[in-house]
Amino acid sequence: MIKSKRNLALWVVFLAAAGIAPHVLGIVKTNVLVELAGFVLYAVSLNLLLSYTGVLSFGHALFYGVGAYTTALLLYHVEGFPVIGALLLSGLAAGVIGLILSPLLVRVTGTAFAMLTLAFGQLMFILCLKFREVTGGEDGIAGYDVPNLNIPGIASFDMLDPTVFYYFALAVCVIGVLIMWYITKTPLGQVVVGIRDNTLRVDYLGYKVPQTKAIVFAVSGFFAGIAGSLFALFQGIVSTDGVLHIMVSFYPIMAILIGGIGTFFGPILGSGILIVLEDLIMRYTERAELITGLLFIGVVLYAPGGLLWLWRGLMAKLFGSKSQPASEEVEA
Amino acid sequence: MSENILETINLFYDYSGLQVLTGVDLQVEKGERHAIIGPNGAGKTTLFNVITGMYSPSRGKVMFKGKNVSGFKPHKLSRLGMGRSFQITSTFHNLSTFQNIRMGVLSRMGIRFNMFNRVDKMEDVTKETNAILERINLKEETHAPADALSYGKHRSLEVSLAMSTDPDLVMLDEPTAGMSRDETHSAVDLIRRLTEGRTMVIVEHDMDVVFSLADRITVLHHGKVLAVGRPDEIRNMKEVKDAYLGHRREV
Amino acid sequence: MSPVTAMYVAQAIHGLTYGMLLFLVASGLTLIFGMMGILNLAHASFFMLSAYFCYQVVAWTDSFWMALILAPLGTGLIGVFVERFLLRKVQQYNLGHIGDLLLTLGIALVIAEGVKTIWGTESHQVVIPPSLEGLVSVAGLEYPIYRLFIIGLAAAILSALAFILYKTRLGMIIRAAVSDADMVSALGINMPRVFMFVFGVGTIMAGVAGVAAAPMLTVFPGLADQIGLDAFVVVVVGGFGSLFGAVVVSLFLGELNAFGIQFIPRLAPVLVFLFMALVLSFKPMGFFGERDD
Repeated sequence: MIKSKRNLALWVVFLAAAGIAPHVLGIVKTNVLVELAGFVLYAVSLNLLLSYTGVLSFGHALFYGVGAYTTALLLYHVEGFPVIGALLLSGLAAGVIGLILSPLLVRVTGTAFAMLTLAFGQLMFILCLKFREVTGGEDGIAGYDVPNLNIPGIASFDMLDPTVFYYFALAVCVIGVLIMWYITKTPLGQVVVGIRDNTLRVDYLGYKVPQTKAIVFAVSGFFAGIAGSLFALFQGIVSTDGVLHIMVSFYPIMAILIGGIGTFFGPILGSGILIVLEDLIMRYTERAELITGLLFIGVVLYAPGGLLWLWRGLMAKLFGSKSQPASEEVEA
Repeated sequence: MSENILETINLFYDYSGLQVLTGVDLQVEKGERHAIIGPNGAGKTTLFNVITGMYSPSRGKVMFKGKNVSGFKPHKLSRLGMGRSFQITSTFHNLSTFQNIRMGVLSRMGIRFNMFNRVDKMEDVTKETNAILERINLKEETHAPADALSYGKHRSLEVSLAMSTDPDLVMLDEPTAGMSRDETHSAVDLIRRLTEGRTMVIVEHDMDVVFSLADRITVLHHGKVLAVGRPDEIRNMKEVKDAYLGHRREV
Repeated sequence: MSPVTAMYVAQAIHGLTYGMLLFLVASGLTLIFGMMGILNLAHASFFMLSAYFCYQVVAWTDSFWMALILAPLGTGLIGVFVERFLLRKVQQYNLGHIGDLLLTLGIALVIAEGVKTIWGTESHQVVIPPSLEGLVSVAGLEYPIYRLFIIGLAAAILSALAFILYKTRLGMIIRAAVSDADMVSALGINMPRVFMFVFGVGTIMAGVAGVAAAPMLTVFPGLADQIGLDAFVVVVVGGFGSLFGAVVVSLFLGELNAFGIQFIPRLAPVLVFLFMALVLSFKPMGFFGERDD
């Protein structure tokens, strides 16, 4: 009871803060928050693979890119295509790609999985680069209009208004993250964590491991696609370097590791640190990525569990509350 | 004479040119506790792994409940009602005792792909899991991660996990390996209780365990069945003594 | 020789040059992976770092030959430091392969950003030393001497490497460790030191490749990108820890690069990654072996 009351209070504070943020921070900072919302969704979708299924993907940009290109192509070729439709179709396209690739992806783990996803990510990168009739090559697709978000009979929102778009992105992010959080609490979420811990045993308890993993790849791909779609809607331009570059695959890994691998909420914290840090450092130096790179190495070396665990360890030391095993967060 | 729940017919298994099993005919009757023994290198563990779907037989058949299950994948065997434990403890080490057992309970109830309901709100699952924990004396360790359990308790969890899917046939691979005398004693008790009403096949080195648990014993030697019989028969069989003694002489 | 044939031969030498450079990078990567189970994502970054060192040494001393010695050595020292103080530390954590991959990824990012910070984002020219300048005419064809020099240099290193691996005691240990590190360790050999040696030599070879490439490709921040990805393909397709596989696949990729661009400009790079994906999907054990657990 106490816990749920505290959670309710946290939600109220969060929503209130998020609600007034654009009015307090101004347009420039609000745009950073929009970026953050998309990135959080993207990082959490990757975290389903890294922390829950226990596989490291070096090609998550594939799903992000498919989502972004789907939205850009739809809006470019079909004038006035509904925003929500584009968003969902983009997620669906990315999820279907995840399903299509899953028969190959489920066969490998560890380093081989990382290399296989790297290969698929690069494949998509090169395909989009080369088939410029469709994708515009390195110039990408630009100049599409984002129509108003219409809720028939109720309202019509101007998506070009930064504040409006901020609320839209926030809603998509919160809903997406909540759905993924919920899935981790279902029996499927449990089985996935079991696969991470002991794949053979899951098999011997009567579960179909490949099919279970395929569902996770599809779900993870779906939400990465949604995040890519948000990017396309917000930026108004989609190019290979922007959404399919190998760095686009690496960034969420950094966020997850900095925040805390093996946790659900760590990656959200990590995304915040990464985006805000870059925005802050960018003002003093062009080389913000050097600092984040060093931070990344520091975390791998000195806090391999991530900052969330470092924080909890500190709290435990200060207040003597007993520390929890790394799994509790993921499971309980 | 009751029917055979498990049967192997002329089972062969080659491992890179080496014949490990050379025509094993094993019969396990429904409801009995059956032990497979034999000197080191007799092929016990290989036979166990071929029956449980880890390897496919090179030749011959594995019949389970009258069905040819040779080369079936583990999850298929599990759904047909076969459970197994591992010689080297193989639980979900980061998960709590409760979550370990629940993994089997969910599968037993056919809840395998559900991603729409919260698992902690499924009361029948929770109730059943708790009941099992009670039965295996791990109630106090409900929330402890499997890794944090004492060796003996971790082994109990291992064996109980094999039975959490409520199988008709449970295959135990050296369940008391590495246990102290006391731990072995309570493990044998636990196994006896948990296998009540099931068929059990056990591969075991510890002869005390074998003789106190088994209704019937199959002795393997050089990848073949050497003898089958009740414990008291096996104990006095000359061939069996020779097989073991001969082996000891080699060592 | 007809002009068309001459063009093909020139193209083939182009491919051979890149293939040899790729081999220098990939052979270190594959040995490190085969032995230590570590896929070093920063390996190509050492290649690039050495190219920058080369630029700097040439700027200071005006001598390419000095750079050819100093830059790889400097790079090798950094490699040994990374192995001894960073990789070894991460391996103590229970992160499995993820720990190695993340650490080397971080190092790759820091090197990529570090060179931009120190040397800027523009590209730098390294002048070919006078003795290697110009063209040489053989059988009516004109080859750039510098490319022949790269091919010769790489061939010499390949021979030296093959000699060490197959004719010396150390090489025997390394080859044994590629197939079973625990076993060799149980024989009382100081494996950490062997690891450090292999890591150092691998980095130095990448460093030599970086110096050799500097005058040809110019020195710029994205220098490591293509050769890095190609080197992964070599390791995967050529087979883990296999020097022979590394040679064959490197040369193949070099030629595919040279001719593929000409005949199937769109599909050549796609084919490379598609092939790698297929190999990984269907033979992950064959190429990654028991190491990938």
